Amino acid sequence: MNHLWMTLRPYTMIAPALLVFLLFFIYPIGYMVYLSFHDWNFISPDKNFVGMNNYRALYDHPEFLQSVENTVIFTLLSVVITTVIALLLALWINKPTKLYGFVQGAIFSPHIISLVSIAMLWMWLMDPQYGLLNWLLELFGLPQSEWLASPDTALYSLVIVAIWKSVGFNTLILIAGLQSIPSYLYEAAELDQSSTFTSFLKITLPLISPTLFFLVIINVISSFQVFETIDIMTQGGPLNSTSTLVYFIYEYGFRFFQLGYASAAGVVLLIVLSIFTVLYFLLVSRRVHYQ
Amino acid sequence: MRKPNFYLLVISMSALMLTACGENEGESTEATESLSNDPIEIEYWYAFGDKIGENNEALVEQFNEVQDDIIVHAHYQGNYEDLHSQTQASIAAGNAPHVTLNEIASMGAFAEAGMTEDLTSYIEEDNIDLNDFVEGLMGNSYIGEGIYGLPYLRSTPILYVNKTMMEEAGLDSSGPETWEEFEEYARALTNDEGGVGMTMPVNIWFYEAFVKQSGGSVLNDDETEATFNEAPGVAAVEFIQRMHDEGTIKVPTGDEAGQIALQDFTNQNAGMVFSSTADLTNYLSIAEEAGFEVNTAFMPQNEQYGTPTGGANLVMVSGHPEEEKMAAWEFIKWMTEPEQTITASTNTGYLPMRESAIESEEMESLYEQVPQYKVAVDQLEYAGPRPLNANYAQAQNILNDAITSALIEDNQTPQEALDEAAERINSLLK
Repeated sequence: MNHLWMTLRPYTMIAPALLVFLLFFIYPIGYMVYLSFHDWNFISPDKNFVGMNNYRALYDHPEFLQSVENTVIFTLLSVVITTVIALLLALWINKPTKLYGFVQGAIFSPHIISLVSIAMLWMWLMDPQYGLLNWLLELFGLPQSEWLASPDTALYSLVIVAIWKSVGFNTLILIAGLQSIPSYLYEAAELDQSSTFTSFLKITLPLISPTLFFLVIINVISSFQVFETIDIMTQGGPLNSTSTLVYFIYEYGFRFFQLGYASAAGVVLLIVLSIFTVLYFLLVSRRVHYQ
Repeated sequence: MRKPNFYLLVISMSALMLTACGENEGESTEATESLSNDPIEIEYWYAFGDKIGENNEALVEQFNEVQDDIIVHAHYQGNYEDLHSQTQASIAAGNAPHVTLNEIASMGAFAEAGMTEDLTSYIEEDNIDLNDFVEGLMGNSYIGEGIYGLPYLRSTPILYVNKTMMEEAGLDSSGPETWEEFEEYARALTNDEGGVGMTMPVNIWFYEAFVKQSGGSVLNDDETEATFNEAPGVAAVEFIQRMHDEGTIKVPTGDEAGQIALQDFTNQNAGMVFSSTADLTNYLSIAEEAGFEVNTAFMPQNEQYGTPTGGANLVMVSGHPEEEKMAAWEFIKWMTEPEQTITASTNTGYLPMRESAIESEEMESLYEQVPQYKVAVDQLEYAGPRPLNANYAQAQNILNDAITSALIEDNQTPQEALDEAAERINSLLK
């Protein structure tokens, strides 16, 4: 009896967490996969089984393919640029004075502002006729941009907003990483007359690699799921130039009421993210140095 | 570990406080006093704020005052698209409103999916005189055999012209009557300082009007096939393209395109704009502030005059208990009565829904004082319904992109872009 309890106890302990996980993660995923093989409008009592038709339709849907492309471009640009800027900033402002403390607080502030407010704010800034950004460009005699109103620039405008929003958070996490590096390593390097750049490459980078690894993973995942700014700022337009996978799913599920089709796109997103995560762990985790 | 960053703390705190302040605003003044024989409470969701929102709130408040059996809670839900998707999601989640609005091209999608109730039996029981409803506005109410909604805030697109600019340019300020005149007007109003004759985002509602004016239609009569790639539909895009190439029309793009067009007109950077008659009171008051006069006119004719109607019908969401359905019907019935349609029309510029309202003293004296109100009513003679196909929302997206790409991207002729869109839309309509 006692033995049985010992075996069961850990499972009993994690049961509440497991239940929530099953209910809110595993069940919806399963249901989504199930729906992706059906034709359903959300309301009607019958779900027609259509086999692989939803997937086949996705395959030659120009807007879907463009959404995938947009998502990849958006993710690549925003993750790479955010990480580089955050790393440079972290190295620069990681100093224990009042002024730098203020700067750290200031650049973190976008992270705690609601994305909806940020989207509205940037819409004003990027207004092609009366926006501050175009006014600045004009002031310096530079050509003005259409920002969100042109299919050529809209996606990049959204990338700018994404970077502005996340760079502060990334910087702060990196600063925490930098501060956990023991100072004797740098002292030893100094004794060996190592250049600043070599110290960065051989000490700093390897020792903050777990932090960088963590940041890149969460940035990729959140970039893949970008939605609010698109919904508010562009609605996927103009000419689908800013429609991403998640926005595509939303549009087909909740505006055109084709839940099966939207679910199929959801399954694709799930697969892409899973593959990416597994690959990432396999390739990059080997290079990450844990203390 | 370092001590906590003081500035970070301050910024976080102030952000939290800002959020807290914002939340209080949302609290609506819901009736809390308890009445003797528990009134039935129902929910009503509507689209658009500003004058249109104020009108909705005012009518609901009035309804709650004039009777004691029903309390209606009105909730704003954004634009039509937001309203539709919120309603859809709420039905799936089982907490749907009782009464909501369907933009008229979405009546079919909602009714066919069983999301809205057939109102025929209620109408028959209460002997509502359907002949008093303006005939041109009833087209989108009939889905199959049933009547699924009653006209509430309905409109047609009309031409708004800046009378002051017209007079300065030596043009007749009653506005252009034909496409040729429209083109000449636009040319005369265009200047070197960035002023254009016309500003107009790509908008399928206006496009439906152009196609109709050219003697065609967007879809065939059964709505099973696209017909916009025939001569009239192509002519419409080519007409705008010609003016766009010449620089007499501005075509704003992006999510804010409609807003940009409004700004162009109110800042007098554009002399003309197409817009819903529902914007009339807004335009009149903005123009007064900015110091110019606004005139309204029919959308110009090509082979004939023609416009779609627009706006929203009141519908009852299905799946509620009988008692609440009765309450919802009472509310719909009251909202569509002549007195209320007069109030709504005066408040916003939307059309009066009832023949008896159009002929009423109130409306006649308004038309005499502010003749701009009358144009949309007169234009109704040439107005028709919008397509009802359940997939039309998606078709509109494809068509919008095709026209935008023909106008802006310049890599396809209008015919090519429309043919490609027609092919994709045909597979949706079946």
